[in-house]
Amino acid sequence: MPRVAPIFLAFAVPAFLGAAEPALSDFTREIQPILQEHCYDCHGEGNRKGGITLDGFKSDAELRDHKLWLRVLKNTRSHIMPPADESVLEEADIEKLANWIKRDAFQLDPANPDPGRVTVRRLNRVEYRNTIRDLMGVKFDTLAEFPADDTGHGFDNISDVLTISPMLLEKYLDAAQTIVTGAVPTRPRVVAEQPVLGRMFATTRIESPVTLVADGGSVSNETSKPAVAAAVPTPTDDTPAPAPTFLRPAPAKEGNALDLSYYTPATVEYIQHVALDGKYQVVADLGAVEKYVDDQFDYNRCRMIFTIDGEVVVDQEFVREGENKTYKFTFDRQWQAGEHKLAFEIRPIGPDRDQKRLLRLRLNQVVVRGPFDQRHWVQPKDYEKYFPKPVPSSAGAREKYARELLTNFATRAYRRPVDQPTVDRLVKMAQGIAAQPGGTFEAGVAQAMVAVLASPRFIFREEEVLPLRPGQANPLVDEYALASRLSYFLWSSMPDAELFRLANEGRLRANLTTQLGRMLADPKSAEFVSNFTGQWLQARDIDSVQINPFAVFLREHPDPEIEHALESFRRLNVVAEDKRTPAEQKEFEEARTIFRKSFRTPRPQLTGALRDAMQHESEMAFAYVLKEDRSLLELIDAKYTFLNEDLAKHYGIPDVTGKEMRLVQLPPDSPRGGVLTQGTVLAVTSNPTRTSPVKRGVFILNSILGTPPAPPPPNIPPLEEAASKEELAKMSLRDTLALHAKNPMCRSCHNRMDPLGLALENFNALGQWREMDMNQPVQASGELITGEKFANIQELKRVLVTSHRRDYYYCMVDKLLTYALGRGLDYTDTDTVDQLVAKLEAAGGRPSVLLQGIVESVPFQQRRAARAVQTASETAAPALPNG
Amino acid sequence: MKFPRDPAVEKHIANMSRRHFLRGLGACIALPALNSLLPARMLAAATAAQLATTATGAPLRTAFVFFPNGAIPSRWWPTGGTADFALHDTLAPLEGMRKNIQILGGLEHANATAGNDGGGDHARGNSVFLTGVRINKSATDVRAGISIDQVIANQVGHLTRFPSLELTCDSHRKSSDCDSGYSCAYQYNVSWQSPTTPMTPENNPRLVFERLFGAGAHGERAAQAQQRMRDRRSILDSVMDDARIMNKRLDKNDQAKLDQYLTGVREIEARIEKAERFGPNVDPDEPTPAGIPATQAEYVELMYDMMLIAFKTDSTRVATFVLGHDGDNRSFSEIGITEGHHDLSHHQNNPERVDKVAQIDRWYVEQFSKFLTRMDNTMDVDGHSLLHNTRILYGSGNADGNRHTHDNLPLILAGGGGGQLTGGRYVDHGGQPLSNLFLNMADQVGVSGLERFGDSTKRLTDV
Repeated sequence: MPRVAPIFLAFAVPAFLGAAEPALSDFTREIQPILQEHCYDCHGEGNRKGGITLDGFKSDAELRDHKLWLRVLKNTRSHIMPPADESVLEEADIEKLANWIKRDAFQLDPANPDPGRVTVRRLNRVEYRNTIRDLMGVKFDTLAEFPADDTGHGFDNISDVLTISPMLLEKYLDAAQTIVTGAVPTRPRVVAEQPVLGRMFATTRIESPVTLVADGGSVSNETSKPAVAAAVPTPTDDTPAPAPTFLRPAPAKEGNALDLSYYTPATVEYIQHVALDGKYQVVADLGAVEKYVDDQFDYNRCRMIFTIDGEVVVDQEFVREGENKTYKFTFDRQWQAGEHKLAFEIRPIGPDRDQKRLLRLRLNQVVVRGPFDQRHWVQPKDYEKYFPKPVPSSAGAREKYARELLTNFATRAYRRPVDQPTVDRLVKMAQGIAAQPGGTFEAGVAQAMVAVLASPRFIFREEEVLPLRPGQANPLVDEYALASRLSYFLWSSMPDAELFRLANEGRLRANLTTQLGRMLADPKSAEFVSNFTGQWLQARDIDSVQINPFAVFLREHPDPEIEHALESFRRLNVVAEDKRTPAEQKEFEEARTIFRKSFRTPRPQLTGALRDAMQHESEMAFAYVLKEDRSLLELIDAKYTFLNEDLAKHYGIPDVTGKEMRLVQLPPDSPRGGVLTQGTVLAVTSNPTRTSPVKRGVFILNSILGTPPAPPPPNIPPLEEAASKEELAKMSLRDTLALHAKNPMCRSCHNRMDPLGLALENFNALGQWREMDMNQPVQASGELITGEKFANIQELKRVLVTSHRRDYYYCMVDKLLTYALGRGLDYTDTDTVDQLVAKLEAAGGRPSVLLQGIVESVPFQQRRAARAVQTASETAAPALPNG
Repeated sequence: MKFPRDPAVEKHIANMSRRHFLRGLGACIALPALNSLLPARMLAAATAAQLATTATGAPLRTAFVFFPNGAIPSRWWPTGGTADFALHDTLAPLEGMRKNIQILGGLEHANATAGNDGGGDHARGNSVFLTGVRINKSATDVRAGISIDQVIANQVGHLTRFPSLELTCDSHRKSSDCDSGYSCAYQYNVSWQSPTTPMTPENNPRLVFERLFGAGAHGERAAQAQQRMRDRRSILDSVMDDARIMNKRLDKNDQAKLDQYLTGVREIEARIEKAERFGPNVDPDEPTPAGIPATQAEYVELMYDMMLIAFKTDSTRVATFVLGHDGDNRSFSEIGITEGHHDLSHHQNNPERVDKVAQIDRWYVEQFSKFLTRMDNTMDVDGHSLLHNTRILYGSGNADGNRHTHDNLPLILAGGGGGQLTGGRYVDHGGQPLSNLFLNMADQVGVSGLERFGDSTKRLTDV
């Protein structure tokens, strides 16, 4: 049995140990015999396979090679080592080895685990966005405005890799200004402003499609229907086209806006009532929108006519304007009290034909400002949110009010009580701005708020610790830091009022379980779901993954004619037209005709809506397990999934209708259910033109089993060395991989990855079921390197949740703990991880137990003592935040 | 020293700009009056040290352009001698630019090879490219080295509004892990301000443009930029005080993070000071780019244009541009290649795959060649072309993407360097660190005190 290790005290260990090299003698006596029997054929007695030797240690220090033993621990536990066909390590021996590694090689004390080192964390761009939302009630699109955060260990909330470049600092300062300017009023009263949103406009006229049918065609009988989505027949080159009618979208609400198609003659109106005579201003705010379609020439143009009370104030032609262009038209009017009509008319121009680009004018809003007479000015929007009381008139009372406002704001923004000197400074700044010519009390407070949002104390999450108590090796983080650790873990945002209140009362730690439950029930926990699954499963990448549906289609429907045409096109496209021989030019044109025709064949596409549905499927499956506290094993093997009609059709699952995503019980024997067969995972682990069994295998090893393979060596030997070109052409992907794995250098990893990845070969790069690939029937059966056989994906899932359950639990603990702590795990975390896995195992994989375990764990609760013990007096007098 | 003011020259430039400039922006950019392009300090600089300045007194610019996944060697390298070389397929688009380029052979990055670090050649290909150091293999403990563009920026950055500009056409980042245990910081950044602070590149042309010239429509930008400076200044004292309070409470590791914040603050202070010294910003008569264009060709062109306009307006003299990070698996359907670039690059000598990779390599060279042409057609303040007064190193951190080699890297040194570079040559440097070239490049802009850089051994003798 391993003896009890000395209490972990990093600097004191060697001094306590009198005996010469005790760890080494223990090793020789207890551990070496196991290694000798099972490992030294490759990793000892002169053998150095993979550069690893497990003998020849000369001192305790040499023996305590943390990196080496961490690998041994992981590989023996997951039965990767020793290889199944060479030797079998008994569970008791694995356990003995693990204990020796933890106690002697790592010198860990399970009673007093090391919390690990965590660097001060800056908000990543998701956290920044959410924090601003919760602090200010403002949407600020950090994904567009800030550069992507660097990642480590698969997540973008790892403090060590979250850096600040000068450009990012600049963006932080400017964002602070933009956010406050947009949200906080700087005057007590302003000209009244009424936004008339685009969606409030009513369609008063839409012209019949009769007049819109292309020349010479017969007329559709459908008349004057608001939404005119006429059938679009596909004309072919050799048959005379039936009379086409074209897509004539009616004015359509798009969020708060109204989209006006370039191709539909229509008028929309709004009647504005004003109560007072006076000077008014009318500002129309429109944008140009198009759906991008490559290689389309769009002829269409339109005229937009804007009238106020029947008077034409804008009559302007629009063409293809590019994406995201906006227009503002401003008019001053002297209005009487009563009704005033605002109207927009669209008159299409140009040849009438079907347009792929779907050009639209987006009527965002018309803002009516006025009356301008100062007597009728009003309190600005949100004024009371930032300034709940009227501004006092005496200087002393104003200072007191400013102090109160800024203490509250800075406390919430810094997520802990703010010290007096800081408040003094902010108040002084506010007073300085207010005293400037044209300055107001509100403008001063607003500018001080900018300074708060630009401060490192907002951008970083500063943590304080409680004083060390006797017997404690490391201090607990204080309650405010704990509140932030919880809220950024589960909400990717700042603590709410209740967490603040509990922290302020010093009762959060005592109410951890209740708070955990409350936080998971809160809608904000959707952030945890999407950020965790988005990165664990790379579900975020579905949004941008490039898959070529045509190439995927061709693999399942091989067509030599099209392939030949594609090859010709690719070859000749690089030759300038005037440099091609007539024969080449003919070949080029023929090729173009062939695959133009084939382009028209309908085939599955990874549309934006489908990508969204896939991402939701992954998120909802995870959220369901989390909220219903079902076993985490259901993330691998489940009889249900989440679908809408589009996605169900894509997967070939019947009887799901409608747009909304919902829980669907799968037919018996369905291959779906669990993350491995979700569209997200299947697509993001594919290459643009085909599946990649290797990438899929790596994904399972890395994200499900937690045993990533070594990276591939460069210079992969050409397969031609093992088989002729003709033989290769006939081979399936499986055969070529098998050929590949004949090479001993490749075998050790490919034998682990390939069976896993090939088990998913029935799913193409778009995530659809298929039976054939390149004229060969798909074969998904296989055998894992650990010896388990399976006939298909259903059986593989069962293998994973039974004989690899512990590997999966270790993996989930590793990923979730990494995400929760914002740092990579180290050997010092071994006990914490083991304890969490044991809890999860005992609780049948219920996530509540794991999350509870994580937030109670030493690394989550404590900080490594690295500096002189903090005195409590540095923390300023607590102030309760607003709300 | 005075430059001739010739109305004909001005008209010529205006015409040229109409034809060639910022096509990606949709129209032309009117050149500001020549004298506004000629900052007062430049006249002073001509009499002082020749820092980042050509013999005529014009600004000397430096750019580093990175392309992903190496290039098919057999299709990249020219045949023939130093001067009478014949370009092969991949570099053929540069034929018209022949006299403005040097094809550099025999330069390498030993620190990008596996060494004791195992896999991860793409992470290394990216972050060793301009640093020349061995990067620390870790997902979290990020340590590279300062990159050569930042060494140059540190010495010449005070001359311009922006010490340096970092651009990329990586519009999306893959989530989850990057290359073989390396942090993704290594794989997306070529420019490093310090071993631990990468200079994150900007991928949105709109944000680049607004950062350079201010937001809003033409005519409003200078005022907007000034307002932005005033706003920033009004909060700097306060955030510095906060930083000081925080610093006292942090331990050493944390202080290193806060230092990054403080470095940024100091840079803003310097920028505010410069804004006062240099006067109002240039405001190009151009609409602000709307965002990331839909096709990759337009995107790359527009980003090159951002670099061009930054150089032309002397907003900066140092730029880096990542066309795609090493390991990029983008497909190029616009030239009929639907497979992913990285996937294809491990071609296993399959001739069709080799051919496709070579076509991608060539596509990148074509875009580069168009950029050089635009630079060549843009007149600089001294009457030379902008290209004449610039040095642009175009290359990749991998040589043969199939084998992950890092010797004989594909490199082109373009531009006249203000007359310091002799183009029209294919020079084989016979197996030296690429870092040696960086010493020469630093010398040329007047950087002093740089005896060693990365793994340099000596200066190149024939540049």
